[in-house]
Amino acid sequence: MQSESRVDPKIIEEILKFSKNVIEAPNLVSAPTEISLEVTPHDIAREMDKTRLLHYKPLTDKQHKTPLLITYALINRYHILDIHPEKSWVKNLLQQGFDVYMLDWGTPTSMDKYLDFDDYVNGYLDSYVEYVKNESSVEKISLQGYCTGGTIATAYITLHPENVKNYVATAPVIDGWRDTTVISNLAKHMDVDKMVEVIGNMPPEFMYYCFSVLKPFEQGIEKYIKFFKNIDNKKYVDSFLRVEKWLADTPPIPGALFKQWIKDIYQDNLLIQNKMYIGGKHIDLKKIDMPIFTQVAVGDHLVSPECSMPLHYAVGSEDKTLRMYPTGHVGMIASSLSQKKVLPELGKWLAERS
Amino acid sequence: MHLMSSKPQALTSIGPMRAFAANSKKISTELIEINEVLMGFNQYLTEYYKQLSDTWTVAQKKVNLKAPEVPQDVEQIEAFKRIWIDIFDNDFTELFDSEKFGKNYGKLVSKELELTKHWNNISNVILQSVNLPSKEEIDEIYKEMHSLKKRVVKLELELKKKEMKNNAK
Repeated sequence: MQSESRVDPKIIEEILKFSKNVIEAPNLVSAPTEISLEVTPHDIAREMDKTRLLHYKPLTDKQHKTPLLITYALINRYHILDIHPEKSWVKNLLQQGFDVYMLDWGTPTSMDKYLDFDDYVNGYLDSYVEYVKNESSVEKISLQGYCTGGTIATAYITLHPENVKNYVATAPVIDGWRDTTVISNLAKHMDVDKMVEVIGNMPPEFMYYCFSVLKPFEQGIEKYIKFFKNIDNKKYVDSFLRVEKWLADTPPIPGALFKQWIKDIYQDNLLIQNKMYIGGKHIDLKKIDMPIFTQVAVGDHLVSPECSMPLHYAVGSEDKTLRMYPTGHVGMIASSLSQKKVLPELGKWLAERS
Repeated sequence: MHLMSSKPQALTSIGPMRAFAANSKKISTELIEINEVLMGFNQYLTEYYKQLSDTWTVAQKKVNLKAPEVPQDVEQIEAFKRIWIDIFDNDFTELFDSEKFGKNYGKLVSKELELTKHWNNISNVILQSVNLPSKEEIDEIYKEMHSLKKRVVKLELELKKKEMKNNAK
């Protein structure tokens, strides 16, 4: 009796095609070094130690009076906000007539291990805000904080409310105890004193581990299967490689800053309880009284909505808006949804107040 | 004769070997402690892989229950892959979110840091034996530089304020 093969020929075809794509990939895609993440033209307006202030060139004849300073996160680099011409957060805001500045925290080295929250909030950020005010001849600016940059910016506006006209909090890390992500679970059980004492700065390798346990099978397997399946799609490959390059570039976090961040936000949850101190100064969220626009993503697996949303309810502002989007942490700032929905809503809100 | 024989001793008193010999006890103590830490490290590492392995087994059983048939065509393979990824992502996220994983992982990292600390201590002994600054000494310089930078910024601000006051007069 002969056994009958039941294998669908399409399966063989798919396997062969996939194998061919894997073999040809090195010839079809650019090397990471060939991809530039500098998308929108800008000047380096100012530098302090390893940090830089980028000033983007305008894309409209007329601009809103109040400039916008974006405080990027401590993890990865600012490029994600300007990752691709068609998905650029910065470019979209420039097209809407905003004068955009971006804070690049740079790459700290071992000698920066004593930089703390005070240096970031009352040092670098405050100096750059003063600079933007002077350059634009305004009394107040608009400030946006993304992710951990949102924590820094939130602390800043409680201490220097006189400098900020409008505040945009995009997936800010605020309430560590409510955070339901894996990151928060790892942070809660971390001996951060020992870590900083022994290795100084938070090493990028540890960050990569933390990223690897977030949706490990979707991100570690399915993502790459999709990439090889779409190897002929130039647009897809270009977007994919840009994000991959961005993901692979995480600077260390200064030890002292990292220690306070883990302890005060994730372990003791002081910020939302109005018990946090920075440079000896009390951080009281009720002191935030300027218009505030909080953006959260429902599918955010890095900063859960439950962690960000309490800011909306804790501030003293009367003019406050909370928006939730059906996307993830990166999708909220660098996707077609961000271009079609998130940015137009933000632009409208900001324009009415700028 | 006495002078000749004492000369080599005098030479080694300023060379690295004498310092190294004097510190060899410190190095052996560190090595013994490293062994003790390694035992703890291995214990948490074993538990780490046990948790991963147990989760994998449970997730695979769930997949087998949900998709018992061998996929026969491309669509079925795609559906099977989706089920596999969803179940594995859910189960592993549940594990990584759990207290038992967080606690064990925290202890594992802590043991790793202790190993690094002992390695640093050994390196310090070697550095000192060749008259180079230890990690602690370099850290002190970093700390001093950080504090000086802060003071300079403060002084610059005060100077600026004074200048503004004088200009206003």
